[in-house]
Amino acid sequence: MTPGRRRARRARWLEFLWMTAPAVIVILLFVEIPFVMSVTYSFTKWNGLNRAVRFIGLANYKELLTNDPSFVSAMIFTLLFAVLTVAAINVFALLLAVILDMKIRGKNVLRAAFYIPNIISLIVIGYVWRFIFSRGFDSLGSLTHLGIFQLSWLGDTHLTFVSVVLVSVWQSIGFYMVIYIAGLQTVPRELVEAAVIDGTRPVSRFFRVTLPLIMPSVTVAVFYSVSNALKTFDVIFSLTFGGPGTATTSIALDIYKTAFSDDRFGYGSAKSVILFLLILVVTVTQLNAFKRREVQA
Amino acid sequence: MRKPRGAPAISLLMAVLALAYIYPLILVAINSLKTFAQIMENVMAFPSQLRWENFANAFTLMRYPNLFLNTLIVTCMGTAGVVLLASLAGFKLSRTKTRISWLIFLLCVAPMMIPFHSFMIALVKVAKTLHLTNSIWGLGVVYWGLGVPLSLFMYHGFAKTVPTELDDCAAIDGARPLRAFFQVTFPLLQPVTVSVIVINAMWMWNDFLLPLLILSGSKKSQTLQLAAYNFFGLYKIEWQNAMAGVLLTVMPAIIFYLILQRHIIKGMVAGAVKG
Repeated sequence: MTPGRRRARRARWLEFLWMTAPAVIVILLFVEIPFVMSVTYSFTKWNGLNRAVRFIGLANYKELLTNDPSFVSAMIFTLLFAVLTVAAINVFALLLAVILDMKIRGKNVLRAAFYIPNIISLIVIGYVWRFIFSRGFDSLGSLTHLGIFQLSWLGDTHLTFVSVVLVSVWQSIGFYMVIYIAGLQTVPRELVEAAVIDGTRPVSRFFRVTLPLIMPSVTVAVFYSVSNALKTFDVIFSLTFGGPGTATTSIALDIYKTAFSDDRFGYGSAKSVILFLLILVVTVTQLNAFKRREVQA
Repeated sequence: MRKPRGAPAISLLMAVLALAYIYPLILVAINSLKTFAQIMENVMAFPSQLRWENFANAFTLMRYPNLFLNTLIVTCMGTAGVVLLASLAGFKLSRTKTRISWLIFLLCVAPMMIPFHSFMIALVKVAKTLHLTNSIWGLGVVYWGLGVPLSLFMYHGFAKTVPTELDDCAAIDGARPLRAFFQVTFPLLQPVTVSVIVINAMWMWNDFLLPLLILSGSKKSQTLQLAAYNFFGLYKIEWQNAMAGVLLTVMPAIIFYLILQRHIIKGMVAGAVKG
């Protein structure tokens, strides 16, 4: 190789290096190295402060699977929460999207109204609803004398679960509505018109023509709602802080409490690894199952 | 196409529904202008006279200007860093067709499958070691690592649609690579840049858990969301100040949304569909 060629090759390599290295470094430092560290910590007993980190093998995993009622209850809560919110979010968001994709007056203002809760931080949303559930429902109750406003929405174990689901769904519908509207706009008009001419009824037209064509949007929306539901944290942090008792403690909140309140960093890390695996398995399964149902127009 | 029957009725029904949907937020606004006694008496009634001093109270009690500035610094610094690092690397990785480049690309986007909560414990440890905790600037730097993967993925995908002839032109002109990138390539990536800015800015402005973990030891360096949480805890009983505080906290995001509505919707959809 001539020296000129070699120099050019070196220059190209250097350019590649300085353009990609900064991104690689921050990703390694703030995501991938911490992730590998978490997996390593999960096999240790460590309080986060001591220098002494003791290797204890699979003891953390054994404890959380066999001897930790709070983790089991967090697991059950999170899965139930995910099933309910994912179903509710996608059904209502799709319904709203279909209606707001029609030719109706003021649809842009209406879309904005449903989207607004989504731009407010979850921590504030939780607080706003604490106000609504306590003061707001008090007033509504004395005004309407309806029983539902006199219940203890943040005190009763079962009702608090419903409240957390309700607030989470309320906050996120707008986002998924927007994804579905984007999907509906890709449906070719000719196909829908052909179905109209064929005399297909609106409802079966939706299920036979529209829905199969927007399956890619359904896949994406379900994927995001599932993975967000399994990671839920902020709303619960400010609405109930996992209470009453541990009734609404999600896995993410349980990890936070284990590590930063109980100072059990090794044990908390084991829980984080479980959360990672759970989300990975569930979302990969979901993506595979849904991708198979996507059709071409 | 046939005119939809009953459209005005649907429109009206949806308007009522939308109003009911945001009624909790309307209640917040109404009650931020009442006295404490009025709130306790009836939440739904309109204030007999507007008490703007609630906002003045919240403004000083929260040390709002300070928090606003802190959050703005974190958001701008975080977003700018993500745009810069992700566009450079995403573009270059998309243009370089070698196996090494493909492996680095995979390394860069793998974090999209790693939930934040599964490495936050060790992240705090890393941030402490690097002296990035309890500092607004440190928080901004940590956001780079968390934000780059999705943004890099979006740049990488979009760069394929930008014709390579333009890079060559810049090279023949003898422009230095850095200048060529910023003068020729970066402007061409603008549609993604808008989405990347929107996604990252909205996320960083509203994020709670990372600031909580990184800034927990410092009273001085707090973000709006973090301080809002503490503020509400302290003034639990003084609903009127708390409601004014809620509005002050969410206003910047809502104004940002109303101004850039179209870009935000497009950016959010792009981020979701491509991510």
